[in-house]
Amino acid sequence: MKLSLLKPGIEQKKARWGLIFIIPSIIFFSLFSFYPIFTAFYTSFFNKKLLSLKPPDFIGLQNYTYLLKSPDFWNSMRATAVFTIGTFIPIVILSLILANFIISRKRFQWFFQMAYYSPAVLSSVVVAVIWLLIFDPRGLGNQFLNFILNTPGVDHKFLANSVMVQISTMVVYGWKYLGYFTIIFIVGLTTIPQSTHEAALIDGASKWQDFLYITLPLLKPTTVLVSIMSMLQCLKTFSTQYLFTQGGAPMAPINVITLNIYHTAIRDHRIGRASAMSIILFFIMLIFTWLQFRVSHSEEVSY
Amino acid sequence: MQNEGQIKIKKRNISSVIIDGFIWLFLIGMAIFILAPLVFMFTASLMPASDVMKMPFPWIPKGIYWQNYWHGLRGNDGSFIYIRNILNSFIVAGSVTVTTVILSAITGFGLAKYHFWGKNVVFMMIMATFMIPFEAIMIPLYLVITKIGLQDSYQGLIIPFLVNAFGIFLMRQYYITFPDEILDAARIDGASEMMIFRTIIVPNSIPAMASLAVLTFKSQWDNLLWPLLIIQSEEMKTIPQYIVKFISEKHTDEGALMAVASIASIPILILFVRLSKYFMGGAALFSSRKG
Repeated sequence: MKLSLLKPGIEQKKARWGLIFIIPSIIFFSLFSFYPIFTAFYTSFFNKKLLSLKPPDFIGLQNYTYLLKSPDFWNSMRATAVFTIGTFIPIVILSLILANFIISRKRFQWFFQMAYYSPAVLSSVVVAVIWLLIFDPRGLGNQFLNFILNTPGVDHKFLANSVMVQISTMVVYGWKYLGYFTIIFIVGLTTIPQSTHEAALIDGASKWQDFLYITLPLLKPTTVLVSIMSMLQCLKTFSTQYLFTQGGAPMAPINVITLNIYHTAIRDHRIGRASAMSIILFFIMLIFTWLQFRVSHSEEVSY
Repeated sequence: MQNEGQIKIKKRNISSVIIDGFIWLFLIGMAIFILAPLVFMFTASLMPASDVMKMPFPWIPKGIYWQNYWHGLRGNDGSFIYIRNILNSFIVAGSVTVTTVILSAITGFGLAKYHFWGKNVVFMMIMATFMIPFEAIMIPLYLVITKIGLQDSYQGLIIPFLVNAFGIFLMRQYYITFPDEILDAARIDGASEMMIFRTIIVPNSIPAMASLAVLTFKSQWDNLLWPLLIIQSEEMKTIPQYIVKFISEKHTDEGALMAVASIASIPILILFVRLSKYFMGGAALFSSRKG
């Protein structure tokens, strides 16, 4: 070992410094990640209420059984599922296409990357208020759609109709994050060696065949990563839906799970029930995160 | 070369010209779709409310209607609380960025370059927090913070975000390939471990630290849920909360609303244009993460 050159005992001294370097983070995670998740789990078995002076009673699984029977909770699960599926699939497909298109250009690559990425740096609240005005009955949304569909004067009720308001939240979210995932795909694409494409083209493959048989299989790890990352993000969505309901949109169609947790805890003061919902959300996301780790481990590609 | 010639001929045929044109059209169309709402925000912020909601929307403002910015900053009650809220956002996002970068670097270094008992367990523990979404622990966190009396304070806004698993992981990956020989040479020269970190490790990881810094700053600048939970007083609110309040109080003045939104966006957009390399780099680093 090269360290045998050094004084004896230096390994021990090093080990001590290693511990000193990581101790602040250990304390932090214990207090602000592990302790809260265990408390959430613990509290979900009590009928704890905010601002209540009575000590909370242990009620076993009643919070969970209540939720499983509650139409409001299932509505939130539905809203979250619809939003997630309706958002992440178009995001993955569109950003994959955009990344390939950008990569195929010889000029303006940087311009397109900057332009597409720019909404991702804005705060979600700003994004939501811009789109609140666009989706106003007199706003750009109606003007644009009426121009495309040639239906002057029709109000498409972006925020009033229960189906349209769900689509509206998806558009807003997609608009914000499309560029972000496009960049990740571009990074994935640039790791595929140019010689692989050249070999295929020389062998007589068309651009389309090159994409289908070379790019797509080699890009699979990135595609899986983007899918799961965007899915996890969509499951946690809060700001857009919150702002839309503040701006006058109906609550029920877009009452996603985080919004429901927030309202149950802060408006209804039912901490126990909110904790049970948090735990359910935690397990749903745990499954997807586990999937991501598994996939990112097993999908090593060699060229 | 014959093969090159073939490719060139292929490129020149008509269908590929059409496809090429279609790709340009698609890219430009998407760029317009992405940029139009941003342009809308800035142009609308320079118009009186009556023009913002005109059909069709007048894309070029007639003049510059600065009153929107004045009104946005002044607020409906003339308290200029927005200036304080902007300051709060800078203080919180700035502090969280500094602590995250320092703690991630030091912990990442400890995990990458030292060997001690239980290191792998610690690393697994930190990675496990990846799987705990903030949304799942926000209620107990809220109870903890209110119990120790930190609601309505900077400490309350900052403490839950001091460091995160992603930052530590990122820095650890960066340091793991750093040559041990350099560190050992410094040790032989009598440098302490802390000195090694300060004088060798930090200067050599500026790009990774910068990427982590912009990502952290961005996500804190965007944070709405946590301040909504723990901040009640007007003077402790952050920018996203001010916008929420502005909507619920005065939904009709669209020009001023867009001015408020523009003010909230200008700092982060400037940062993005100046440091775009690190923003994009951050996205790239995220994609290279492997457990």
